[in-house]
Amino acid sequence: MTGTGTPRPAAETGPAAPETTAEEPTAQETTALQTAARLTARDLTLSYEERTVVEGLDVDVPDGAVTVVVGPNACGKSTLLRALGRLLRPRHGTVLLDGTDLAKIPTRKIAQSLGLLPQTPVAPEAITVADLVARGRQPHQRWWQQWSTQDERAVSEAMARTDVAALADRAVDELSGGQRQRVWIAMALAQETDLLLLDEPTTYLDIAHQVEVLDLVRQLNHERGRTVVAVLHDLNQAARYADHLVAMKAGRIVAQGHPGQVVTADLVREVFGLDAVVVPDPVTGSPLVVPGRPWEREPRQ
Amino acid sequence: MTAPGISPAARPGAVRPAGYALVRAGRGSFLLHRRATVVAAVLAVLLAVVSVAYLCAGESWVAPSEVLKVLTGRPSAQELVVGTLRLPRMVVGLLVGTAFGVAGGLIQTVARNPLASPDIIGVTQGAGAVTVGAMTFGVTSFAVLPYVSVAGGVLAAVLVYVFAWRGGLHATRFVLIGIGFAVALRSVTQLFLTKGDYLVAQQAQVWMTGSLNGRGWAEAAPLGWALLVLLPAVLWAARAQRTVSLDDDTATALGIRLGRTRLGLVAVGVVLASMATGAAGPVDFVALLAPQIARRLTRTAQIPLLSSALLGAVIVVLGDLLARKLLAPTELPVGVLTAAVGAPYLIWLIVRGHRARGRATGGNA
Repeated sequence: MTGTGTPRPAAETGPAAPETTAEEPTAQETTALQTAARLTARDLTLSYEERTVVEGLDVDVPDGAVTVVVGPNACGKSTLLRALGRLLRPRHGTVLLDGTDLAKIPTRKIAQSLGLLPQTPVAPEAITVADLVARGRQPHQRWWQQWSTQDERAVSEAMARTDVAALADRAVDELSGGQRQRVWIAMALAQETDLLLLDEPTTYLDIAHQVEVLDLVRQLNHERGRTVVAVLHDLNQAARYADHLVAMKAGRIVAQGHPGQVVTADLVREVFGLDAVVVPDPVTGSPLVVPGRPWEREPRQ
Repeated sequence: MTAPGISPAARPGAVRPAGYALVRAGRGSFLLHRRATVVAAVLAVLLAVVSVAYLCAGESWVAPSEVLKVLTGRPSAQELVVGTLRLPRMVVGLLVGTAFGVAGGLIQTVARNPLASPDIIGVTQGAGAVTVGAMTFGVTSFAVLPYVSVAGGVLAAVLVYVFAWRGGLHATRFVLIGIGFAVALRSVTQLFLTKGDYLVAQQAQVWMTGSLNGRGWAEAAPLGWALLVLLPAVLWAARAQRTVSLDDDTATALGIRLGRTRLGLVAVGVVLASMATGAAGPVDFVALLAPQIARRLTRTAQIPLLSSALLGAVIVVLGDLLARKLLAPTELPVGVLTAAVGAPYLIWLIVRGHRARGRATGGNA
């Protein structure tokens, strides 16, 4: 069973989930994650002005895997992602890319191997989709080399993958939220980096578009071996899509590992302060968090 | 919906940024925005027409053929009127407009706000205050005044930058503090005017409205040199704009040293605006208007610097032509005319409300 380490009585589980679809993480999957990590953080303390958000944190981002960071609001997960992407300078400690302190690598060089999609990117007024996606090529271009066949290929590919090629000439302003998010992802893909950091890429999207974006992330990871770190709000989606799950609370990592081992009722209570039942997801077998009964006037027995 | 983005890589060559043409030269490759190129070409022709008209018109009418003779260096009876009297003044107007057009474009790009132009946020006022101050203290040499203006403009810009800085540059705070400084610096100018000698004060008063009257090669030369020397920086800026016009996080993620890049863009803008102010006084609203009109014409995602420069030149040269002719023989300072056009636009900008556009998907960040 995936809900390892769940001592809670199964009687509480309510309607039993079909166990047949449950799937253990294979041995290879778990060991594969123990390989090298190009992106690591050591003794990281992050703060905004006087307010310390993350303190003394160590983390390794496993290569070639999808790492998802979860945690309650204001736990420092987005802050951590910003620091990993050198958008926030650590107050203390270092973020290392291939063993070198990010602060010591020229930002352009970083941009060639590490891409980042912020939570709420803002497009200039009236910019077209193709123009925006093409700007993802910036770190690979020079003043006198503004467009190469490489750029052409990367942009076409990114747009095809995210299914926005048909929108190429449209203004980004006019698009729906889901389309726009795919355009931004296309821009990050056009950057063609081995590492991709995504800050809540599914926010503001309806469930179908959320699934679409997450499937795309997974596909990129599987087909291209890209290392992805995403901050997600939805614990169930995190458990579904992550190879490596990092649960944060109050600026610290509470647990990390394969979702099947990490996501337990105890963890949900500890991290989110929520009483919940963890059952196997009927489709994937990954842990599915079902919160306790909704409020009722007279508690039933 | 279930299998997104499975489509194989698109056929190569299918997607080039919409509306761009690719120009190759040796190992170089440049992206030219098609519409912006056409707009710039049209504006260049318009500028040429306006310039010739400027040289034709005046107290006496000179035929365009005579003007062209003078311009191409062939002997002409109108050499004195066109070549000596009108041409230098026109060149000053042309350079001033160019400088303001570029300066406005750069500073508006950095602040991501159409209100943030050097004549609104205190740069030209700083240049003005220090220049008038120098004048009242007896500095009238044209060899010195342009640099005095630059010192004033840079000083004002640094003050605004420092006061607006709070762990980052916030556009709205930058503009508001700039407007505050602009008002304060105007008062300082008035103070100098009341303290100074009557004649100097009168001269300074005319200068303060922005006038090309009596301007010639002495003013044109330093400004021309400044534009020439800063040309590489402006070319760099035109490229940097592509990334700086995105939000801070995205720009940084794309490998731009945002702080330095912005500082560089602002510095070039401030120097150009101050030099232009030194040459002709604060010709109001040119730096505010030219970039925004140019952008609406080219429909580019960022302010087109070349078109903005050309449009600035057209506005000042045409403005001065009208200022000379409208109430002839009375001559208006060109600054009065640009203000008459610019002020309503400014009011419109403010009334419309320049809300920072969040992403339509939310924007509650």
